[in-house]
Amino acid sequence: MLLVLILIPLLAALCVPVLPKKHVYGAAMLGTLGALALGVFMFAFNGIDWLAITGDAYTDRVSWMPRIGLQLSVGVDQVSGALVLLSLLLGPITVACSKTAITERVRTYYGWLLVLQSAMIGVFVARDVVMFYIAFEFTLIPMFVLISIFGGSNRKAAAIKFFLYTFTGSVIALAGLLYVAWYYATKISPPSVGGAGTWTFDLETLKSAARQMPAEQQWWVFLALMLGFAVKVPLFPLHTWLPLAHTEAPTAGSVVLAGVLLKLGTYAIYAIAVPMSPGAAVAFAPVVAVLAIIGFVLIGLVCWVQTDVKKLVAYSSVAHLGVCVLGLFALNPTGLKGGLLYMINHGLSTGALFLLIGMIYERFHTRNMNELGGLARRMPVWASFMVFFAMASVGLPGLNGFVSEFMCLLGAWQAGGTAWAGLPGGTPGVLGPAYVLIAAVGMVVGAMYTLMMVGKVVFGPLKTPEDEHGHGGGHGGGPGGGHDDPHGHSKLPRDLSAREIGTLLPLAALCLLLGLYPKPLLQAFDHSAQKTHQLVVEAMKQRAAAAGATAAAGTAGTAAGKLEGSGTAGGGADQ
Amino acid sequence: MTDFLPTLLTLASEPVAAQVGPVGFAALKEVSLSAPLAAWLIPGLPMLGAVLAVLMAIGGVKSKLPAWTTVLCLAGSFAVTLWLYLQMRDAGAAYTTVKLFDWISFDYLPGKAFVANFSLYIDQLTCLWMLFVTGLAACIALYASEYMSHDVGPGYCRFFFAFCLFVFSMACLVMGDNLLLLYLGWEGVGLCSYLLIGYFYAKPSAVAAAKKAFIINRIGDLGLALGIMLTFVHFGTIQFAELLPKVEQYVALATSGNLAAVPASVQWIAVLFTLAAFGKSAQLPLYVWLPDAMEGPTPVSALIHAATMVTAGVYLVARTMPLFQCGAVTVPPDAWVLPGLVVPALDIVVWGGALTALLAATIGMAQFDIKRIMAYSTVSQLGFMFVGVGLASSYAGAFHVFTHAFFKATLFLSCGAVMHGFGGQLDLRKLSGVMWMKGWLVVGLAMLVGCLNLAGFPFTAGFFSKDVILAEAFSNPHQRVVAWILLVTAGLTAYYTFRVFFRVFLGPKSFEPGDEAHGHNDAHGHDDRAHDGAGHGHGAKGEHGAKGEHGAKGEHGVGEKGAHGAHDQAFQPHAPGWAINLVLAVLAIGSLVAAYAYPTKWVKGLVEKSSAAAVDLTGSAAHAPATLLGMDPHEIMYYVSAGVGAVGILVAFFLHYLGRKTAATSRADAIKLGALQRGAQHKWYVDEFYDATVRVPLKVLAHVLHFLDKVLVDGLVNLAGLLPRGLGMSLRPSQGGELHGYALAMACGIAVLALVALFSLV
Amino acid sequence: MIDTTFGVALTLGQFTLGQFTLGQGDLPAPMSGITLYHYLFTASTMFVLGLIGFLTRRNLIVMFLSTELMFQAAGIALIAFGRFHMNQTGDAFVIFVLTVAAAEAALALALIVLLFRRKETLDGQAWASMKG
Repeated sequence: MLLVLILIPLLAALCVPVLPKKHVYGAAMLGTLGALALGVFMFAFNGIDWLAITGDAYTDRVSWMPRIGLQLSVGVDQVSGALVLLSLLLGPITVACSKTAITERVRTYYGWLLVLQSAMIGVFVARDVVMFYIAFEFTLIPMFVLISIFGGSNRKAAAIKFFLYTFTGSVIALAGLLYVAWYYATKISPPSVGGAGTWTFDLETLKSAARQMPAEQQWWVFLALMLGFAVKVPLFPLHTWLPLAHTEAPTAGSVVLAGVLLKLGTYAIYAIAVPMSPGAAVAFAPVVAVLAIIGFVLIGLVCWVQTDVKKLVAYSSVAHLGVCVLGLFALNPTGLKGGLLYMINHGLSTGALFLLIGMIYERFHTRNMNELGGLARRMPVWASFMVFFAMASVGLPGLNGFVSEFMCLLGAWQAGGTAWAGLPGGTPGVLGPAYVLIAAVGMVVGAMYTLMMVGKVVFGPLKTPEDEHGHGGGHGGGPGGGHDDPHGHSKLPRDLSAREIGTLLPLAALCLLLGLYPKPLLQAFDHSAQKTHQLVVEAMKQRAAAAGATAAAGTAGTAAGKLEGSGTAGGGADQ
Repeated sequence: MTDFLPTLLTLASEPVAAQVGPVGFAALKEVSLSAPLAAWLIPGLPMLGAVLAVLMAIGGVKSKLPAWTTVLCLAGSFAVTLWLYLQMRDAGAAYTTVKLFDWISFDYLPGKAFVANFSLYIDQLTCLWMLFVTGLAACIALYASEYMSHDVGPGYCRFFFAFCLFVFSMACLVMGDNLLLLYLGWEGVGLCSYLLIGYFYAKPSAVAAAKKAFIINRIGDLGLALGIMLTFVHFGTIQFAELLPKVEQYVALATSGNLAAVPASVQWIAVLFTLAAFGKSAQLPLYVWLPDAMEGPTPVSALIHAATMVTAGVYLVARTMPLFQCGAVTVPPDAWVLPGLVVPALDIVVWGGALTALLAATIGMAQFDIKRIMAYSTVSQLGFMFVGVGLASSYAGAFHVFTHAFFKATLFLSCGAVMHGFGGQLDLRKLSGVMWMKGWLVVGLAMLVGCLNLAGFPFTAGFFSKDVILAEAFSNPHQRVVAWILLVTAGLTAYYTFRVFFRVFLGPKSFEPGDEAHGHNDAHGHDDRAHDGAGHGHGAKGEHGAKGEHGAKGEHGVGEKGAHGAHDQAFQPHAPGWAINLVLAVLAIGSLVAAYAYPTKWVKGLVEKSSAAAVDLTGSAAHAPATLLGMDPHEIMYYVSAGVGAVGILVAFFLHYLGRKTAATSRADAIKLGALQRGAQHKWYVDEFYDATVRVPLKVLAHVLHFLDKVLVDGLVNLAGLLPRGLGMSLRPSQGGELHGYALAMACGIAVLALVALFSLV
Repeated sequence: MIDTTFGVALTLGQFTLGQFTLGQGDLPAPMSGITLYHYLFTASTMFVLGLIGFLTRRNLIVMFLSTELMFQAAGIALIAFGRFHMNQTGDAFVIFVLTVAAAEAALALALIVLLFRRKETLDGQAWASMKG
């Protein structure tokens, strides 16, 4: 069934090139809506109790290259299911938001957009490392095309940088994955050690294989994986491709990029890097957390001095995902669940912000905040949505961003090492209040840049490029009456059209719903997060035991006491 | 009223700490309401009002309908609160929780849950707060229905949407059964405050003020968020009903003089909460947003920025009083500076409050914009409240909150009526004798009542509530300095209050209309729609809006005098209509009647039958009644503070009423205090100081970071990209493009291979 | 000159291939007197001629003919070795090569015609647009 889900957009993509130009939009819409409908059916109405299942649902295996154990293996658990639904939801929205913006080479455009849709679903449902990697990389090609053909003035450079940067990263990650496969085939699988003597790329098998590696090898694997996935996230300082790519990409590209593509990185960290090498994750958590906090606070400050509104939102993605990564690397259920929820929430609110900016760009052909102002007067509906999503992005309680942001920070605090693990609200972990105190400054910074943007674009005296050039608005009749656009390629109403409102409403509804009632998702993520946390706790125990053993070898006299002391749960975790 | 004076005298001789038996949360028993879910109507009805306002905005309603639905919803909410109060009054010292649905609740470890639900915690303190919040909100909504009538249409809907949302958020803040729901309300009121301050969004000053308010509040919210996390990590719960009993052991430690023995993680909670309270309630060093918040419509200033939202900080301290009792900043014993010093959190609260009270009062004395004077007076009075709660007397703080809500709302609404009637004029040098103009008597009288309250005129509500705080301060031997500061402040308050009254409402009749009298109002929402299409005018119009700063800077106002002169004949002030007069009358009477809550100990009873009552488990000597001038502080304070207030009023009378011939000049002009006067007029340059020390350095830092990001971080990436490029460049000449060149290279290659083959065979 | 070259090649051939004749082991050589090295000598001569032609001529058609010469030289060597080893691998290869060569000839000549149309010249040096 999952394979069908992947195939629906692909089939639509195959139809697109042969259809007459005027039907292309409809076909793309049909393809994405069909996939969404199937997805909703699969995840909501097919009788699967997502709170109860402990493994994957809808597993499917098609043998591909049996000699090396390669399979088309798919399946979803709650985490990947939620992300699949997010990408499915954004599908029709990205198609709808392109209707008036893209008028040339529509076949190329929608075709690649549909392929991108399939590839994204493929990443989340892949349960085979090679298939995962192929899908992971395959998202690059459509995105490259979308940016380099349909992007802004600097699109070529942006596309190349985007492609090469993320590609380099993922090749390194591939090396790590292949090493694990090789390790399994030569060290675990041979009959001489009681194995079946086969190669495999099955994700679950490789995860447990990686955990059996010696600690140093795990570290290297973790580093390779993190390097690849962190580029995608993007984690400071590997983020510089993002503002460029976002600024140049067409609206739909930005929406998908912010909404789903960035989550490929965090998802891969959560689903592959951490379970493969929990020990290394514990060891590197402080480093990663510091990078994440730098992203949250300092890149937040960088947002504050942007003049291009799209660039501002792009930089804010770096900042937001910093919190998400901080939550994930708290490595306790609170932080992990917070991080997972953050992926969904960021996709909704930032995706919507990019949509809103796209609508402005379509009308005024500028994203420069110094040329825009006071749009609340001319476009009250647009302004209302803008304020709403800005608040969701700032993390106003009652909207979705808050829940996840709070949980990420709380998780990081709970994971406060030995000093805090003993308290009623503490958990084992290696971060702590110091991280949270600094990260929380980012909340203020977030308010600063977001309100700066809202204050400039939405409020203040009305200012648009048209007014300054002395034409444009003068033609407009009443609301709804399109005006003669001097650039001649869109007939858009002054405020938002029904289609545009239609793209925003589902996102707004979900923002509100997840802000007020996040419980279903939190419960759904529970099993997965607890399992990951268990792996981490075991790794911590091993580390503590190893440290104890070293101490025992060094000073035989006091060793016994130390071993006992650090052997307890969470003990020695803050080394 | 017959028993008023005798009760007063018996009260005066009552010792302060005459409490027996358990107090605070331990004294409460859990009860259940007769219809528990009905309590949710209190936040629910305002929410309904907000939703209706949105629907009306979508439906394009162009009448006063949103105002009426809002008034109805808020009045309904008040009625439910009344019902709730009656139930809780019968239950006595009790609390109850009413859960609606799960919000953020999850397992953070197997079997251990983080719980923050949409659930209400109701005790007598909750009732007290919600009574005046919903009651005042309903009144002020009625007032606003007339005040905002120039803006009927989408703007009107927007106003009442935010208004309703505010009451909803405030209800969540006050009634939430856990700290996180309180936080939701806390940020929610911040959002509404942002939306309403920036209501006239075409004015850059309003937008800037809104942004400033939100961001400075965010700094405070940061403290609250961190405090909540710390609370949870330490106690494993953030629900009041579970949390408060767990704090008791630490309170016992703290009240027995062993504050330093409380774990640091508990001590810090209150300190973080203090930051939050000082942000929301505009105390030093975070008070700067509140005066600017006067950019919002006056009903908003009255409700949000005087009566309710800004008292949320006081509420937070009262609600979490046990945490504050064991809160402190402890310097580690091995620190190189002040080792082992323990500063109790409550002392921080007291000193923050006292210094803010004094500072704001001095600024208020030198301002000319009457709304700003009221804003500074709010900041100052909030300082009084904090001293009250900081002295571990939730009652003193809460009582002042209660009385202040009435009289400050009255004051603001009176000022608003003036502003509304005189085209936005707020400069006290341009208005005079308003009370004697036709149709302005109610406003004048309401203003008088408000001023008497604020000045602490004997037997007004403000007099009693201020007295309680002063007496508490004087009876605490450690806080004598604070007590004297407050006493001086009380005198200053009386002066600047009556300065406004004497200048604007009494004296020769004269006026100059404000900027809004010039045919355009500052909310273009609808007129824009009417003759838009001609987009040319917008930019210019916006700049007009910018000018409507209502003479925030006195000097500027004077400079523009000539320009206004020509229009004076054409302008007729319009006296307030029935809605404004009715609300003013109700509130003025209310603020007089509120005095009755003192002798009947109504507020005192409510507070002490709630979890907010300070726990004094040891009955230590800290609260032993001290004496002042050989008398009980409460008793002597009646005379002292009345005297100080009278002096202030007399000074104002002498300087601003006697012999004043015109609106613009008075005897006070003769007093030149040089730098002192200039400093107070310029708000002691605090805004400029923050700008120079915080905003500008941050901006520079941001630019530097942006530069580094572009040049260093991205530069390294590009450098890495240069490596393969350089390699390619070095190999480039080998590709000559000539067919024969390639052929020759191939031939040579073959030759080499052949030779290698040959010799390897040999 | 030719003699010298021939002599060196002959000596090298004898030196390397020794007394091998076509046919292996006990089997009689079908054409006695002509040994493998004669064939190889012919092939390598053709190849070198083709190479020299390719390197020295500028006319595209002649250059193409030279490559064909080299092709066929390789073919002769393959057939000779096939005979020498008494299997058909070489023959199969040659048939393959011939097919490819035929296809190539068609393509290459077409390309040359196109190139000629572009610049009205058959000079190979006129085309250097792949310069790096």
